[in-house]
Amino acid sequence: MSIMEYNGGAVVAMVGKNCVAIACDKRLGVQAMTISTEFKKTFQATPKTYIGLPGLATDVQTLAEKFRFKVNMYRLKEEREIEPRTLAHLVSSTLYERRFGPWFVEPVIAGLDKENRPFICSTDLIGCINFAKDFVVSGTTSNQLYGMCESLWEPDLEPEDLFETISQSLMNAVDRDCLSGWGAEVTVITPDKIITRTLKSRQD
Amino acid sequence: MFSTYPGQVVVDHPISVPIEHRFDPYVDNGGTLLSIAGEDFCVVAADTRQSEGYSINSRYVPKSVKLSDKTVISMGGCYADCLTLTKRIQQSMEWYQHAHGKTMSTAAVAQMLSIMLYQKRFFPFYSWCILGGLDEEGKGAVYTYDPVGSYERETCRCAGSASALIQPFLDNQINFKNQETQKHTQSLEKVLRITKDSFTSATERDIYTGDYLEIFVITSKGVEVQKMDLKKD
Repeated sequence: MSIMEYNGGAVVAMVGKNCVAIACDKRLGVQAMTISTEFKKTFQATPKTYIGLPGLATDVQTLAEKFRFKVNMYRLKEEREIEPRTLAHLVSSTLYERRFGPWFVEPVIAGLDKENRPFICSTDLIGCINFAKDFVVSGTTSNQLYGMCESLWEPDLEPEDLFETISQSLMNAVDRDCLSGWGAEVTVITPDKIITRTLKSRQD
Repeated sequence: MFSTYPGQVVVDHPISVPIEHRFDPYVDNGGTLLSIAGEDFCVVAADTRQSEGYSINSRYVPKSVKLSDKTVISMGGCYADCLTLTKRIQQSMEWYQHAHGKTMSTAAVAQMLSIMLYQKRFFPFYSWCILGGLDEEGKGAVYTYDPVGSYERETCRCAGSASALIQPFLDNQINFKNQETQKHTQSLEKVLRITKDSFTSATERDIYTGDYLEIFVITSKGVEVQKMDLKKD
């Protein structure tokens, strides 16, 4: 039994035309038993950036709060919002600080920079950043998500089409993973608005 | 000087402990296969890369074998076990042909394979089998197996190293899961398109899948083989 598979969860982020989308499932389990179906794994870091945190649930909660603190401190000191690329490096150093006793999460970051250019990346549990141009996946469902995203993604999708693509990728992938599912939450970030939708999927 | 745990014994001379040397009979040769059943056809596809760990043994070793004009079998896992199992199936089919004067039907081969696999329940064939063909009514049939013979007829299935990547895509595109589209059977062109896309996607993300793709198309006219390139990295 791997510690990364104790609670289960899935997060995926994709790049579109002048927009990004991030999606997560809503299950919280203790191995085979489902405890909650309202455990979302994406958190808003700035008005234009989201972080997804799949992995051990206690670390998900702790790191969400740690990053909220660090982003707030950055805003107070710099008098501006943190850019997504900078946030990625902040996440990376926070994780590497615990190199020999790591946080058991593999975060995903999605946002628009100050010129509204899309940005996504993911890191492993000790902070190695993967700067991807197309999509990033994380969690117990990562293999299934790789297969779905690789087949369904194409460049320059409009926000509505990006929403459909990321939703289909997540829903079909988690249906093949017993530790993820029980609904999904999808957030699409565009220069003028952020739309968050909750999907009802197979409830098992 | 050192703190000792309860029950721990510290000595100042080397001590020897018996070590068991074991030969691991199984090897994973990697690769991915899939099969999709249509209204009056069946598609069996597999990549041709054979690997061992991080090395490639060969870029072209076919994983699928034509058993008859109506049946094709594809196997992944330990290639040695797959070869022997294929040979045994072909021998049994030849005995049947001579005893009954006709070719074994797909359903009969399917059940026989299950029995053959379970006969080695306590030293299994390490092979992930998918049997594709046409049933007695001429409809496409796909039978999937686990290494000890549990089997089931399905519409589509993939097996092997990239099965986790491809199976949800097949659920979405062949069985229309999580979609409002009315369920309908796909045409042969659409199924071939889905098969090729599945393998190109799997080749991107799975190191054991690549080199060439061999597709067997079984229709009432017989078995046709197509070969296409996949990325070789």
